[in-house]
Parts: sequence; structure tokens; C-alpha cells
Amino acid sequence: MEKNKHIADNYKPKTCIYKRREWRGLKDTLYDFGQWLKLWGILAGWLLAHPIQNIKALFRYRWMYTYLTVVSFFDRLMSQMRGAALRAARNNMNTLAKIVTKHLTILFSADEHLHPHSKRAKKKSEHIILIDELLPGIFGAGFKGYNTILYQVAPVYLPSLINQHAPVHYISQTESYGLPADVCPLPSYEAGVAIEDDFCKVGKCFISCNMPCDGSIMTSAVQDRRHGLPTMPLNVPLRWKREEVMDYAVKEYKSVIKFIEEQTGAKYDYEELRKACEIWNEQTRMKMEKWELNKTDIPPHTGSTSWLYRIFEYQFACGNAAALKNDKKVNAILRKQVAQGKFPKTVKHRAIIWNTPCNNYANFNEWLLDCWGIDSVCEMIDFQGSEIIDTSTPETMLYGIAKMAQGATMRVHTKGGYEVILDDLWVKMEEFNADMVIMFEQISCKGVAAISGLFEEQAMKRNVKFVWVKQDLMDPTSISRRDMRDDINKFMKTVMREEPLDESLVDFDDSESW
Amino acid sequence: MRDLKHIHFYEDLLEQANNELVQKAKGEGKACVAYTCYYMPEALLNLDNSFSVRLRAPHTGSLDISQYYMSSFICGYSRALLERAFEGGYNFIDCYFASDTCQQMVRVVENIHEMNLIDNKRFYYNIIDAPLKVTEHGTEFYINQVKTRFLEPLRDKFNCDISEEALKKAVEMHNRMCAIFEEISEMRKEENPKITPREFHILCLVSYACPTYLILPYLEETLEDLRHRQKDEKNRWRARVVVVGSEIDDYTFSEILESCNCYVVADRYCYGSIPGRQQIKLNDKEPILDQVCRNYLETNQCPRFMSQDKIQGRRDLVKKLVEEYKADGVIYEQAKFCDFWGYERMLAGRVMQDEYKIPTTQIDREYVVSGSGQLMTRIQAFVESLEIKKIQAKEAKNGKE
Repeated sequence: MEKNKHIADNYKPKTCIYKRREWRGLKDTLYDFGQWLKLWGILAGWLLAHPIQNIKALFRYRWMYTYLTVVSFFDRLMSQMRGAALRAARNNMNTLAKIVTKHLTILFSADEHLHPHSKRAKKKSEHIILIDELLPGIFGAGFKGYNTILYQVAPVYLPSLINQHAPVHYISQTESYGLPADVCPLPSYEAGVAIEDDFCKVGKCFISCNMPCDGSIMTSAVQDRRHGLPTMPLNVPLRWKREEVMDYAVKEYKSVIKFIEEQTGAKYDYEELRKACEIWNEQTRMKMEKWELNKTDIPPHTGSTSWLYRIFEYQFACGNAAALKNDKKVNAILRKQVAQGKFPKTVKHRAIIWNTPCNNYANFNEWLLDCWGIDSVCEMIDFQGSEIIDTSTPETMLYGIAKMAQGATMRVHTKGGYEVILDDLWVKMEEFNADMVIMFEQISCKGVAAISGLFEEQAMKRNVKFVWVKQDLMDPTSISRRDMRDDINKFMKTVMREEPLDESLVDFDDSESW
Repeated sequence: MRDLKHIHFYEDLLEQANNELVQKAKGEGKACVAYTCYYMPEALLNLDNSFSVRLRAPHTGSLDISQYYMSSFICGYSRALLERAFEGGYNFIDCYFASDTCQQMVRVVENIHEMNLIDNKRFYYNIIDAPLKVTEHGTEFYINQVKTRFLEPLRDKFNCDISEEALKKAVEMHNRMCAIFEEISEMRKEENPKITPREFHILCLVSYACPTYLILPYLEETLEDLRHRQKDEKNRWRARVVVVGSEIDDYTFSEILESCNCYVVADRYCYGSIPGRQQIKLNDKEPILDQVCRNYLETNQCPRFMSQDKIQGRRDLVKKLVEEYKADGVIYEQAKFCDFWGYERMLAGRVMQDEYKIPTTQIDREYVVSGSGQLMTRIQAFVESLEIKKIQAKEAKNGKE
């Protein structure tokens, strides 16, 4: 990338929407345009399959309009990408779009809010098992003929990424109800959706859990009151590095399976679970290869599409054959570029991004690279349950999925003792040959905040370039995207004494952007 | 009423964590086991060679150092404990037992460990992973955690006897203390009780903050004194309330309520007497450890218990306390930045008010409440609203007649 491309000049004022599509050279622009059309095809196919139902959903659920902006979201995530990075990103995100649209169809066609008094919808609803969004859905594979739905993904998690303003209304609702504003916006948003009655009314039963944090434990009580379904909490042990917790963890899964069997009348099928676990093992191997490629001098798979897809795959598409197919395709593309020694981006720093990323600024990684040449070669959020599951017996599989759940998104580092998040940072720094740490100060994440001094001191002792970036996960009203950029700008100018790659990106207003 | 026997001595004991009785027990060579959470089975920590102290940070002032290490968004109690550890105020403790329940509290002990803040060569710490629902396998897991992470280290490192007989003796001593509180609690049910909220709070706090075997004789004498205490003729209490919520280890809170003539009939908060000061009934069929651990899980009222039976159980308990202790209303209080009680206060407060029709107010507060005019104003307003409700109810009743 040449210096000063004036990327921000292509943004419509305040909105960050492109005035025209990016020019990436003939080959890449054509590829990007083709994939962009493919995305439109996926969305159109979904809409036209059930037009009335989907339009009803659009008017029924406030969060649903956010999905209309998904094309722009994908464009933001792929800013300035070339070569393998662009191809990997587009393939990942289009796979995600395909799976999510299928998921929305399952949800809406069973939704009593959209189909009151419909026997057909009710029947479909009875074949849905709801689980907390932090639980990997893989164990649901054993309930053949049933759909395991991560309850909060469609109304909460995805909208918070796609549109920075989506959570604001729901968080306000929860706070009006009496919740203090200092709690994490994720459970607060979930509670707000429940208070507003904006969850789809589906499901035979619900499996809640204690992940990822104290706030998430508590928000389940608010949601319970709204859906009124038979609920069982799955207690996932916190000290996940200790072998002694495993017996309890497996028994918890067994009790959950028994509970679902009682609720649905279905019999758990371990052969189906084995098939899903084997696919997941392959998915994990694919991810491990990506990490290895990123450890090279020419990291090909960095940025938000990488971690975002990984979260999605771990929770939502674990054991999903379509996701694995995409992984194989993407890995082949990445491998080829590394073998060729191509590196179509300007990188001045290899950074580790630690702590939970900011959902309302998912494309922060792209800004770091485009503005300052900081490539995020390693992200904390990328390291979910990555142990291979032993599929030899039902016991070993339950052990594997129990272990996998303990290493869930975020909590794999935020739970299990302070060493897990603190020591692993320095390990990863070395493994990925990083030269700086970008540490998110997620102001409402108390587990990490409570050891912030330890990070600071150890970074000083190790003489590591370490920058704090304040954010509030899903609430742009407390810390905006511009504030986050400002933390980096100040550090880069005053501590690092560097000049930006693109001056136009240093400070701009995107407050009205999705 | 005249001053309660030993009350000034108790006040002195609460002036510092390393109080006179703690020093005495340490002087006798016993190991001091510090803890903060109800998940710690206190009854099992007072063995032949150990005694428990529930940690407090009296006279907390500036929190600058802990704020640097923990940020300003952490509950004041956690920050106060870390600050006091930095000041060297906890060098007397030999063990710190914690539970990975409230993450902010766990981070206190982790910071202490990482920075080596306890200047005591014998210092040892351990953290258990505790379940958040009551099941057979969960209880088994909890028992095993308590055994391997608390009791066995006490035996191996501090030469404590953890035999069945020793545990039984410890529980019996605990029960002796609880029997005192059960009797005093009964007195709070009277219309014009002979113990004030402030006095009860002080008694309760010393029972947590001092070695049980040393505070017990004093408490027994205080009870005897209470039995014969003459009440004031005039009932000064304008309203009777149940206080529910997070950790309160400063009796100034009760003083504030008392100054508004608001009587705390039941203290259902961390460091309060419900739960914690009820006898553990033992049988001869099961090991003592199993019985005690089950008791602590079943009676635990921490909002982190997320099964529907426990959630409902918490609300039902508060309702029962209101009825049993003839309370006019409920105060849900939350230490600022406590996620658990933030949610519980919001939801249970609504349920009490809207569904159970029990007048309820919700407050959040700092760790140090002394001099909180805002808190006093809130309490006064609530007391007035309760009085108005009583007048309206009386008028409505008279009108019907």
C-alpha cells in the first residue's frame, strides 16, 4: 500500500459508507465484486424464500433492521484487502451469511410472535432446543431431528457487530428497569431484549450457562422470566486448567442431556455426536494451521474477519460440514500465498490484541493496519476450545465437549485464574513474534480490569510496547470508535513517534455509521 | 436502654482486622484463616489449631494504590482489601481461602499472591471452584474441593486435626455461637425489641471477625445481659425493614438506619446473620464434612446460584422473613460495581414490589457509608412512605368498618 491513500476521503461524511467501491487492482476488484454479488444473492435467496415471514420479522423485531446493513458491514471488514487475505475474508463471511440466513429461517418459521396460532409453527418450535450463545452448539448434534439454536446470537451478538447503534436501545431499556450502567453491555443488552419481548418465541426448553462472566450468570434470570421455558443451567467449571473439575463437568453434560431427553422425548444419539466431533476436530486443525501461517514473516490471515469467523465457527458452526468445506478452501488459498512469498500489505508492527474486542468497532483491526500499519497477527479472542476431541467412546466425547465449553470465547482467558490471561499474553507474543501489545480496557469487564496493574507492571519489566485502548464492548455511547482511535493515535505519535500511513484516517467522524 | 454488656469492647474489636482476640489466638500459636465469602464453610475452619477471620478493612480511606491495580470500576470492598494488604494490614493472616465465585474478590487474592503482599513466611492461599446450583454431583464436587483445597492443607501445613471428631467439635462450637444469634434474632420479632439494629450488627460482625472460641464467652454473657435488659417504654421505631443485599461489614450502615428510626428486623446480606448464624443440624449417618458442605450450599443465598429453584427460593425467603419478622418493607442494597447484586436488586426488587406487594426500595452504596447524607435521605424517604402506607391501610380498614 502506498502512503497517504486518503482512504477516508471515500467515506460519506459521518457514516463511513463508501462513496464508491474500492479499487484494489483489476483482479482483486473483480474478485471482490463477484463475492459482493454472491452475498446479495444469498440475502435475496433468503428473503424471497419466505418473503411475508421475513418482512413481518423486520417490523416485529427492532434488531432485525440491522441485518439490512450487512453488506456495508462486510465491506468495512474488508477495507484495503488484497490477495489471499481478501479471498479468505470474503469466503469466511459469505459462509457465515449462508449459515445465519438458514438459522433465521428456522427461527422465524417456528416463531409464535410471527405465526400466532399456527400449528405448523408450533410443531417446528417443539423441535428447537435453545442454548445460551456462549455454549458451543455441538452437543446438540446428538439430538437428531432437532435444531439447536443459540438463543441470543440472532438478536444480540450479530447485531452488536453489524451496527454499533443496535445495542443502545436495549441497554437503555435495561438501565431504565433499574440495572446499574457499569455492568457489561452484553448481558445488559440480552436483558433488554427480554424486557422488550424481542426474543423470538420458540423452543421446547432452554439450557442456560454461567459463561462468560458474572453478569451473564445474572442476565439468565431476566431471560427466564420472559421465555418461561423449562430451563436447566449448565454449570461450566471456572478453573478449567485443573483436571479435578472434569468429572463434574462431564456429569453436568450428562444431566443436561437427560434433561433434554425428558423434555423432548428424544433419545441422544452418540453416533451423530461422533460425526459432528470429527468435523469439529478437522475445523480445529484448520484453525491451527492458520495460526501457524500467521506466525510466519508474511501473516496472511489477520484482521477482524479472522477472529469473527472463528468465534462464529466455534459457537455456531462447530461440527458444520459447510464451515469445514470453507476452511479447507480458505487454508488452500492462504497456504499458496505464503508459499509464493507474496505479502500485499504494508506492515510496520506485528501486534497482539489482548482482551475482548470491541463489538461496536469490529473493523478496528482494519483501521489499525490502514492507518498505522499495525497488523494484528494474534488476537486473544481467537483462542477458543482448541483441543482435539477423542471420539473413541461416548465418555471421551463428553469429556471433549465439556473441555471445549470450558475454553469458550473470552472466558478461556478471563476465567481459570489470572495466570491464564496474564502469562499467556507473553507466551503468545513470543510465538507470534509480535513487537507490540494492544490491550483493550473493556471498562465494564471487571475480571480483567481487576488485574490491570499486573499487566502494566509486567509490560514495563519486559520492556514491551504496550498501549491501552478503552472500549465498552457494545455500548458506543460511553466510548466511541473515535475515542478508541484517539488512544492509538496518541500512543503512536507521542510514544512511538511515528507518522501514520494514511493521514486521512487519523481523525474522522463516523458517529452515524452503522 | 442502658448499654449492652461488652458493646464497647466489641466496638474496639471492630476497629482493626488484627484485633485483640486475633492477636491472642495468634499468640497461642493458632493459624489464622482469612476468607470473605459464604462459600467458605466457616464452621470447619475453626479447628484445634486454626481460627477463621472474615476479612474487613475498617477505616478505609484513600484507595489510590488498589485503584491503579484494579481500576476504579471494581467494588469498593475488593479495592479496600487490596489497599489494606498493600499497607501491610493483613500480615497476620496465615491462610487466605477463597472461592472463584465473585471474580472481583478472587482477583484480590490473586493480586496479593502475585505481588507477594503478605509479609508472612507461613502464608498460603487456595481457591476453590464452587458450583452454582445444588445437585448431587455438584455437592460431591464442592465437598471434594473443600477437603483437598482447605482441610488437607490445614492439616499438612498447619498441623490441624481434621479427623471426624475434630470436625464435629468445630461444628458444635459453631452451633453454640449460632444458638446465641437464634435467640437474639427472636427478640427482633418483638414490636419494641430490646436490641437495636446497630447492636445486633456489631454482635454479628465480631462473631465473624474474631476467633470463635475467644468471642464465644463474651457473646454468651451479652446474651444473658439481653435476657434481663429493660426495654425503653416508648417504641421509637417508625418502620421495620428486612435488609437484603451485598456485603456490609460496617455497622455505620445500621447506625444510619437507626438514626432514621428504621428497625432492621432481619439482615439478609453478606456478613449478616441470615444465612450464617443458624445451627447446622448433624446426623450420625453421614460424614461431618458432607453434612456441613451440603448445608452451606443449600442455605447459600448468593445470587450467583442460577437454577430456577434457587432464584425462587431467594425471593421466597425474603417474603418469609417479612412475614415472620413482621416487617413493613424491604431494602435491597447493592455495593456499587457488584454485578451479582446489581441484577438481583433490579429483578427481585421489582418482584417484591409488583408481585408480592411488599413495599421495597433499592439502593446502591459505597463500601464506606459513614457520612453518606444521600443514603440517609433515601432511608428517610422510604420510612416516610412506609408510614404513609400504614396510615392509609389503617384508614381503609376503619372506613370498611
